[in-house]
Amino acid sequence: MAPKSTAGNEKLLDDQAEVLQAVILADSFNKRFRPLTTRKPRCLLPICNAPLLDWTLESLALAGVQEIFVICRSHPEQIKAKIAESRWSKPGSGIKIVPILTAKETFSPGDAMRDIYTRGLVTGDFVLVMGDLVSNIRIDEVVKVHKERRKTNKDAIMTMVVKESGAKHRTRSKADSAVFVLDSETSECLHFESMMGYPPSTMASIPREILATHPDVEIRNDFIDCSIDICSVEVPSLFQDNFDYLDIRRDFVHGVLTSDLLMKNIYCYVAKEGYAARVQDTKSYESISKDILSRWTFPLVPDNNHPAGHLYEHIRGNKYIDKDGTVILARTSTVGNKCLIGSSTRVSDNAQIISSVVGRDCFIGAGAIIDNSYIFSGTRIGPGCVIERSIIGYNVDIKENTRIDRGSLVGDGVIIGPNAHLKAFGRLSKKRETKTTGDESEADEYADSEEEEVESAQDSITVDLGTASNAIVWPPNAPDEDEDSEDVENVKNQRFMRLGDSASDLAFSDPGSESSGEESESSEEDSDFDKHVDNLPTSSATSLSLDPNDSSTDAIAESEFRNEVKLSLERAFAEGHSVDNAAVELKTLRMASNVPLSRVRESVVSAIVERIKIIDGGGVTQRQEIANVVSRWGPLINKIGGVDMVETVTALQAHCASSERLPLFGQILAALYQNDIIEEDDIREWHQAATSQGLGLSPSVRTDNIKKCWEIGSRMIQQFDEQSDDSENESGEEEGGTEDEDEEGGEESDSSADEDDEEEDEEDE
Amino acid sequence: MDLGVATSGPITREFSAVVIAGFGNELVPLTSNNGAEPCPKALVPLANKPMIDYVMSWIEQAGVKDVLLICPSIHRPMISHHVHSGLSTLRIDVQTYDESPEGNTGTCTLLRHFANRISEDFILLPCDFIPPPSLSLSTILNKHRTESVSDGSVATACWFAAQKPDKTSLVEDWGSIPPPVPIVWDDATGTLLQVDTADDSDRNSEELELRMSLLSQYPRTRLSSRYQDSHVYVCRRSVLDLLQEKKHFDSFREEFIPWLCKVQYQRTKREKYGHILNPITNIITQNVSLRHSTLRAQAKVYSKSVLHQSDDADASSPFDPESTTDSSSLRVGIVLHPATAGFATRVNNIHSLLDMNRRLLAETTYALPTDPQNRSLIDPKAQISSDTIIGAFTQVSERTTIKKSVIGKHCVLGKMARITGCVLLDHCVIEDGAKIDGCILGKNTKVGAKAELTRCVTQAGYEVGSGETFKNEKLDVSDWTAGPDESEEDDDDDEEETDDDDDEDGDKEEDDSEEEKD
Repeated sequence: MAPKSTAGNEKLLDDQAEVLQAVILADSFNKRFRPLTTRKPRCLLPICNAPLLDWTLESLALAGVQEIFVICRSHPEQIKAKIAESRWSKPGSGIKIVPILTAKETFSPGDAMRDIYTRGLVTGDFVLVMGDLVSNIRIDEVVKVHKERRKTNKDAIMTMVVKESGAKHRTRSKADSAVFVLDSETSECLHFESMMGYPPSTMASIPREILATHPDVEIRNDFIDCSIDICSVEVPSLFQDNFDYLDIRRDFVHGVLTSDLLMKNIYCYVAKEGYAARVQDTKSYESISKDILSRWTFPLVPDNNHPAGHLYEHIRGNKYIDKDGTVILARTSTVGNKCLIGSSTRVSDNAQIISSVVGRDCFIGAGAIIDNSYIFSGTRIGPGCVIERSIIGYNVDIKENTRIDRGSLVGDGVIIGPNAHLKAFGRLSKKRETKTTGDESEADEYADSEEEEVESAQDSITVDLGTASNAIVWPPNAPDEDEDSEDVENVKNQRFMRLGDSASDLAFSDPGSESSGEESESSEEDSDFDKHVDNLPTSSATSLSLDPNDSSTDAIAESEFRNEVKLSLERAFAEGHSVDNAAVELKTLRMASNVPLSRVRESVVSAIVERIKIIDGGGVTQRQEIANVVSRWGPLINKIGGVDMVETVTALQAHCASSERLPLFGQILAALYQNDIIEEDDIREWHQAATSQGLGLSPSVRTDNIKKCWEIGSRMIQQFDEQSDDSENESGEEEGGTEDEDEEGGEESDSSADEDDEEEDEEDE
Repeated sequence: MDLGVATSGPITREFSAVVIAGFGNELVPLTSNNGAEPCPKALVPLANKPMIDYVMSWIEQAGVKDVLLICPSIHRPMISHHVHSGLSTLRIDVQTYDESPEGNTGTCTLLRHFANRISEDFILLPCDFIPPPSLSLSTILNKHRTESVSDGSVATACWFAAQKPDKTSLVEDWGSIPPPVPIVWDDATGTLLQVDTADDSDRNSEELELRMSLLSQYPRTRLSSRYQDSHVYVCRRSVLDLLQEKKHFDSFREEFIPWLCKVQYQRTKREKYGHILNPITNIITQNVSLRHSTLRAQAKVYSKSVLHQSDDADASSPFDPESTTDSSSLRVGIVLHPATAGFATRVNNIHSLLDMNRRLLAETTYALPTDPQNRSLIDPKAQISSDTIIGAFTQVSERTTIKKSVIGKHCVLGKMARITGCVLLDHCVIEDGAKIDGCILGKNTKVGAKAELTRCVTQAGYEVGSGETFKNEKLDVSDWTAGPDESEEDDDDDEEETDDDDDEDGDKEEDDSEEEKD
């Protein structure tokens, strides 16, 4: 007993003694912030006046991480310097921060992970985060859960932290989101599918085999992926084994989940409370700035725990003004809600600052308007300038009356103006000095070929940036951005990540093109549906083979048209229009909707048939009713713009077969014949057609009805035959003969009606 | 309350029930003809009570009065007689369709055909759903009532957790259990979003495809293959209009419902069919609050109609079809009955028939009949376990053992017979010393002396010769003209039938007179 308990204690001690390690990937491996990031790594961009890296360190410190490795690739000396001056590097902070310089050939997070493996940095479970994380989630809780799980399941190699939100939350990137399929009870991630804004993902495909082992799963499209992963020590080695893994989510997670060989599990930790998000792009830069100002990240807010150590005073309306009293706000200036203003900044008369962040030592000229923009320290904005939804770098000089439209990025040290106008989504950076001092050459080492390219292309760009400008203009689409449209980094998809870009043209085409998929599907179905209808009319088969792209709109037009015809005929019936007037109205309708004539005929025939009242008891009164309607409106059928009597009969059959007026088919046919709307030969031709016999149709009640109709038709033709024999003998009595025929035809259909009556009688019993 | 206002016009019915009774092809041979006389599925008994009674009483408990019962025409006399002879207060209208057992008429076709008889919202029910006591039809109706008004849902379905049959009791020869159907639904709102169909799995057998439009509208959905369709659907009347529009649908569950689920989130379908469904809704009033929600993305869809609404709130009535189709969800609600809340099943295969019988037995305790006539038929030396049901007028001879079984009415059990875990329908004759284990015997089955049957199902009127042994088989009658006894029996049947007819007439007269009173 005793030894056992001490063993347990030892284990506990071990657990406590184990240092919690974290790895920060301090490189973005993409160029979304260009040109702000040409001279500076992304993790040092300030958000709410503190570098992103500081926010990340703060988040990790909150979670009780003791050892942090910062993997840096571009501009490592700046990161090293930053870390050295960070408050966490001071003795007594309890955190050890180690910058790791990785090779310039590290192009992806996967490469970085392989580097971690080769260097043997991690010894146990570790927290993997990106260098652009803002979070107040208790990561230590997640680590605890992860370790607990590892005790029972050695294959649970990773826990991803995801934050619940809505599908269209502003911090959730539309361009780079994902659908997670989780086990309802254990939160094991069973399937991961990344989604793109453009080309829009229309389908999520969930492997069916999941259901065999996990009959109850949740499909979540509302997670913000915080890119906080609790990884076991195996994870870097898996990257080493699979050298094609580049992205942690799209390659590694997907690979592990789909692999039949690895047999490893990945779990999700669904954070219900707390805040976590990544500054992945300019759009999320904006939304996270707003989130910080709205205090979603509490306790990480500007007036408390500001990562850069600034002290801000929190004023009602979520305004933050530096506490040291050096901020000068002119009496007539306006500072709106959700604003942050750094120390020693001067705001002149009549300037307006709306939902913006202004750094330290800035100058805002008189009458300038700064709307939803982010201005880094040391920048001077001249009088009368208008800046809208843009990010302005350090020490920029914007001279008077310059206008900067939404979505623009202005690099450090740029001078523009006066009276310049930077169009929406413009990107500027400072020209490099021609004479290279020692410092500069070192910087040049890291300024890559892209900048040179941009510089060399300057001659072709004619934008008026003002006389004093030192700026070079970056072309709207970065030249060496890969054209591979499958990639997340494709140009159009990037637009969803761009500050101030609602991507409304794409966004509209997003549900649109989603539904264009639907359209094609629904048109499939609809053309299917049309086929069923078109199987009946023999001669109208031409109307069927429509282009799949057009057919859906046509189908809509047709259904609309049918409705219209119905209404117009109802009007005609009710108000007693003349047949000619009704015909004219139908012709116009047909022109307007551009539908085939056969449709018009179908609609007219069905409308007329529906016009006939069903009279209980049938017999003479019913026949009278049919005769009335047909003689009044029957002529309309042949006046709609073309005569095709066979089609008329087919339409009648088709309609009767699916209508309760089935018993009247024979009588109506006879009445049409009597009124010379159809002729004997047409009935014969109809009778011979395969479709009118109901051949080739799947057995159903309707098919049976069609057959019934056909049989009635056969009887009629028999009578025609008999009659023609008769009329050969007694040509004088032709008229009387036909009447007899009709009588008989009527009787026969009566008899069928009687049968029905009998049935009904039975039912009534 | 002002009573004067309320009495305008006749009270309209809120719901009518449509019960579809089929041939029961999956219950063959129990539903095969007994000679010339059909054995309707609806009348196959569970614990000596025809299964349709369970459905009917469920409907009755929910306060629904009108039932349209649709059955094959050859079943009509028997079913009509049965449903009209009970004490039920339902107004049951029995309608028929012509069909052979081989041809399969889908529910959609039937509904289209009888659409003119359904004038209000309707509840579509199968004849074989045996609801647990914990699930009342009112629950489903209430959900439909609320949601059809609050956000324009068009139909409400009910799915229940399917019990996995234990492998040991499974007899392969009895036919296979239908595979589970994966469904996707939204838990928060109780919305059915996708039903996996055979077409879908044909198209992509590896993966289940979900549209992103679904996932962005309902970002948090559940997917499960645990549930089975009860085939209970509460639908708005306009669903019938939609069925008329989509004529190629035949099966309601396999074709129409999966399609209907898509209407709510596929824009083109919505635009095209929304006006037909013509939902009523008062969601517009909730819009302002919904617009501030980050979790519900639908708010955006409504904003247009909000503007429209606020511009001329007086001019556009809440029933303006334009604005309502825009804003209403057109969704299909779902009520899920979890496995923990009681056992539900559809008796649509022989396994579930036996299983359901056994479960009903577990709830009963057998006591000897109290009335002396029935009492005298049961020999005191017979051993009858408490979890047994024995029908009226059944004769049990001495030293016969009955365990865990349902014995129908008018059966004759010989001496020394052993009956374990069986279901015997009415008029069975078991001769001396027969051993029957885990069997279902159809009506009028005769088991000869010392015959042994293990896990068999027999067609009505089957005869097992003396001393014969069968195991794991479906026994059906191959030749009906054989044997002189048959003719006598047929005569008996005929007599009974005529009696039945008389009864029927009498009932109907009563009905008629009632109607006249109304």
